[in-house]
Amino acid sequence: MASDALTDYDFWKNYWLSKEGLIFPIPNQYTFTKELAELIESKKINGILDVIPSYHTLTIIYDITLFLSPTQNVNDQLQLFSTQLLSEYENNALTINKNEETIHQVPVCYENIFALDMENISKTNQISCQAIIQLHTSKQYDVYSIGFLPGFTYMGSVDEKIKIARHPKPRNEVAAGSVGIAGLQTGIYPTNSPGGWQIIGKTPWKIFDPDPNKLAKFKVGDQVQFYAIGKEEFDSLNEHI
Amino acid sequence: MSIKILHKGLADSIQDIGRYGFQHLGIQPNGCMDLLSASLANSILQNDIHTPVIELHFPSSQIQFLEDGIICITGANFVPVLNEKSIALYKPILVKKNDVLSMLQPLEGSIAYVGIKAVYDSPKWLNSHSFNTAKLKTEDVLPFSMHPSNPIAMKTLNENLNHALIEQVHNNIFSNTNPIRILPGPAWQDVNENALYELINTPFTISAQRNRMGYPLTGPKLNLNIPNAYLSSAVTRGTLQLLPSGDLIVLMADHQTIGGYANLGQIILVDLPRFAQMKTGISFKFSVANLENAQTLFRTMYATF
Repeated sequence: MASDALTDYDFWKNYWLSKEGLIFPIPNQYTFTKELAELIESKKINGILDVIPSYHTLTIIYDITLFLSPTQNVNDQLQLFSTQLLSEYENNALTINKNEETIHQVPVCYENIFALDMENISKTNQISCQAIIQLHTSKQYDVYSIGFLPGFTYMGSVDEKIKIARHPKPRNEVAAGSVGIAGLQTGIYPTNSPGGWQIIGKTPWKIFDPDPNKLAKFKVGDQVQFYAIGKEEFDSLNEHI
Repeated sequence: MSIKILHKGLADSIQDIGRYGFQHLGIQPNGCMDLLSASLANSILQNDIHTPVIELHFPSSQIQFLEDGIICITGANFVPVLNEKSIALYKPILVKKNDVLSMLQPLEGSIAYVGIKAVYDSPKWLNSHSFNTAKLKTEDVLPFSMHPSNPIAMKTLNENLNHALIEQVHNNIFSNTNPIRILPGPAWQDVNENALYELINTPFTISAQRNRMGYPLTGPKLNLNIPNAYLSSAVTRGTLQLLPSGDLIVLMADHQTIGGYANLGQIILVDLPRFAQMKTGISFKFSVANLENAQTLFRTMYATF
């Protein structure tokens, strides 16, 4: 059943059907959600309003009046749709280009002024702040999902040694650009907002721009690697103005 | 320039049917809380269904019309008055330049809609005029270009009123005390039978902390059989989340796009306007629906718009 490991697929044994949406279970391979979403998008199916990939699910929001026929059983239609889609995916799986991943090198200032919870993680996990920064910057993270807030980027997995639970009570305001840890996930706050993740630094990058030609900086399936910068470099790169 | 907010209300806003196609970037759909009442206002005015309406909560904004025009109020009955003279709901209403619309008391329901026979001259953001943070403020001027409000236009609208539909929609939302129907969600099997029994048999009420993001419920505490540690996945309007405290919250129009709490189920769309309009503290029960019925009901209800 459910656990906080990032690759727990048993939980979604049965896909969930609802009035408004359809959730797929996915095979044990995280880029599946992204590729399946792309497959659906490419088919330009009438009545599909949103295709939302997340860690282990892909949710489709549809307009039933366009997406489904009124004369056939709803469950049968959804079953057929998902079966056909999955088999199409499996048939094409080898030809889908997996080399299109984008790797972002993202600057983060881990200095005290931004790293509100660094001391706390250091104490709780018995690890030096230097080691936390070293571990956090040593891996390439997968972008699993964008959501919660416009552009909020969910990534994983961080090293077990810097795993830390969310704050039991969220802060009233976390600054835009703040980089945090929640369990094995790491994420970036796109805008000032309430939030419960443990903050270890801040990126000078603006990761969400309401300009319709820009919007979210990252997409599901991208790779992110953080690198440490000092306060001076942060100031020179700062886009949060 | 046509409509001015004389005094702001608690949480009023401009809304349309919302924004789809961007949830994979975390961008919320927003839109009217009670889409049925809002669509009815546009239908009565023979507006395009995408025309934005003013969504009023109580205490409501006081609104001044800066041109002559035609409006229609639907949804909650907050006892609307035009220059202190009472006016009808679900009917086209003629307004004159400088007329003031006020809402006196929350008699029935929780959200009122003011439809306007007009074109809204403001840029959309990603195909919608709904912005989740944009509450109307005192002195705001809303750029509605009013449709000419001559007697012929009024006569045509009145002649085309579909009284049966109006009554059906109104009764469905405000005179219907049946349980709110839900479809079981992915965490359904993660609560014990006793909790499911309580969910279906114990009355709940909507708490006063309600807002456009979600309606927290007051009722029995429900517990999960397993640790509350789900991976985040998409949620939508009407999603019933079980919080670690054992309390339930129903996500509404300004919901976040993905969530990590236990997803217990989904209020069916035909019952969502009725749920959105329920007053704080009024008892209601849940019942379990099936997908086939839910979709048939939806088709019947929305076929008219």
